[in-house]
Amino acid sequence: MKTASRIVGTAFFMTGYEVQDAPRYGAERRGAPIFAYVRADKSPVNERGIIRQPDLVVVADDTLVGMPAAGVMQGIDEHTVLLINSHENADTWRQRLNTAATILILPAREDIKDRAELPYIGSRCAAACAVLTNVISRDVFTSALAEELEQLGEKIVKQNLDTALTSFELMSPYAGIVKQSGLPSAADYQQPGWINLPFDDAAISAPAIHASATSVKVRTGLWRTMRPVINYEKCSGCWWVCSTYCPDGAINVTEAGLPDIDYEHCKGCLVCVAQCPPQAIEAIPEHLAKEQEMSAADPSGIKPPGDSA
Amino acid sequence: MLTFSRQEPGRRKQTGNEGIIMTSESIVHFHRMKDMPSSHLLGTGTPMCAGCGGLETLHNMYDILGEKTVFVNAAGCMTLLSVYPFTPFRGGWLYTAMASAPAGAQGVRDAMDILLQKKKLSTEDNMEVVVITGDGSAYGMGLSATSAAMDRNLNFIYLCYDNEGYGNTGQQYSAATPHAAITSTSKGSHGYPGFKKDLFSIWAAHRPAYVATIIGAEPLDLAKKIEKLQTMTGPRMLISLAPCPTGWDYDPKLSVEIGRLAVQTGIWPLKEYSDGKIKHTKIPKQRKPVEDYLKLQGRFKHLFEPQRDEAGIAEIQARIDAYWTRVMA
Repeated sequence: MKTASRIVGTAFFMTGYEVQDAPRYGAERRGAPIFAYVRADKSPVNERGIIRQPDLVVVADDTLVGMPAAGVMQGIDEHTVLLINSHENADTWRQRLNTAATILILPAREDIKDRAELPYIGSRCAAACAVLTNVISRDVFTSALAEELEQLGEKIVKQNLDTALTSFELMSPYAGIVKQSGLPSAADYQQPGWINLPFDDAAISAPAIHASATSVKVRTGLWRTMRPVINYEKCSGCWWVCSTYCPDGAINVTEAGLPDIDYEHCKGCLVCVAQCPPQAIEAIPEHLAKEQEMSAADPSGIKPPGDSA
Repeated sequence: MLTFSRQEPGRRKQTGNEGIIMTSESIVHFHRMKDMPSSHLLGTGTPMCAGCGGLETLHNMYDILGEKTVFVNAAGCMTLLSVYPFTPFRGGWLYTAMASAPAGAQGVRDAMDILLQKKKLSTEDNMEVVVITGDGSAYGMGLSATSAAMDRNLNFIYLCYDNEGYGNTGQQYSAATPHAAITSTSKGSHGYPGFKKDLFSIWAAHRPAYVATIIGAEPLDLAKKIEKLQTMTGPRMLISLAPCPTGWDYDPKLSVEIGRLAVQTGIWPLKEYSDGKIKHTKIPKQRKPVEDYLKLQGRFKHLFEPQRDEAGIAEIQARIDAYWTRVMA
């Protein structure tokens, strides 16, 4: 996403805009949400910091939409265009999010099973931005992309460009849908809703955690793009392999001595799949696993496969 | 409301008691993988990367050490373990600056010793102080404080999770980075020009109670070493190689395989020091070629693509061979 913001920023710049583009990092770990911002205007941009009222929000990974920490929906209102890279359609997202924003879908590639694999996603998203704002020409976009990715070599630039230009076609019906909003003026500035806390002794105010293992409240299972599933017909019950090797300790052992994966917390590293001696653990795409769960849980809906009753 | 009912750490066993000798200190003897604990003390839901080799070491170590532990954590990836109001620990945790975890440990140890002396803390509530730092701290900026703690014979355990670079900030090279690895600050066509510092020998030269190398991919060797150091007092020092999908650039599911290959190729010798003697605890009978280990990692890709760098690979292999020749002599 950082690269996408750089491509868009450079393209705006080449078109004659004043530009800011900046990534925002949290922890540097795989699976951590990452944001990048681009501000562009024909006149000098004096505003700094994160963008509070975006004209366009592009979501490369749709699993982030539901994650409060990612804050995808922050500052979105009826003038915002929300573009989501997703297997699902705009109607589904509209119902799910109940937002006044315009929702568009950048269709996720059907051949991609593991959502951690998002090939050329930065370039695809950048190209979509170019079309939706309708101020960046194809030629300028091409030069901007080539400039930003130059160090990766010609071959990679070409692969990115070819993929990115398909976004140009896909998004062309929506060209210019993103409208530039007025510059926020200093007079409109509203102070954040700070809550004043009186100063307390260190014993009270220090961030001490008194309960144990509170981290279990954090659902790291949301990180997962592939889900390890144990086939108990094949499982030989050697829990000491998977339960010990699971870096997160997210494989419990049942009374019967069988491993049981804690999906609330399993991050989907798939070490268990790689290490299982009888190869009884299979990795399936998380969104497919969720769909199966949902149809199985719906009492009025489709019965699970193999249920003939 | 969180409730946990747990058996005593170190005793948790699923079935049977075969091969288990319980002493008054309820020590389990780890003979085979089956003897590993079947439930885990370290809370899930930590922000470590999926497939983190350091977390694998820590959770196995914690299962054996038990909850009567205070972790003193220098700045690094694992600082993120405990971000208010979430912690995976059941005992104490203290955050220190990068260079000063052993000094923090001294303070905690002294405080508890004073409370014990004054009988304000019962021996039953006494806790083990465990320093936990990455290699940036252990091999580099925290080395002086560590040396001084060993000089003072501080009664503590030190775990260095060594992912061979400053992982939390984007894998810049550290004094633990191996020769030829690409890092974000050694991007040239030959990678990092320096050589991994021999921290085991530096630590052992202080003649502390115990020094060992471990790895999460060899849990039994790890368990035996933790069990052994629990019977000792004084500085007990551990370096765990921590395969790092993010910094080493490989698929997270290969974390255990890469760790095991580090041992089988001999690039990560498992050994221990005590009483002035060094003992290798797992000697690979037939060492695999080091390229088996290197070729799985993106940080060594330049040794294989676009052309195979025979000289580069041979140089790394020669250093490993020389090490083992010296050891086995």
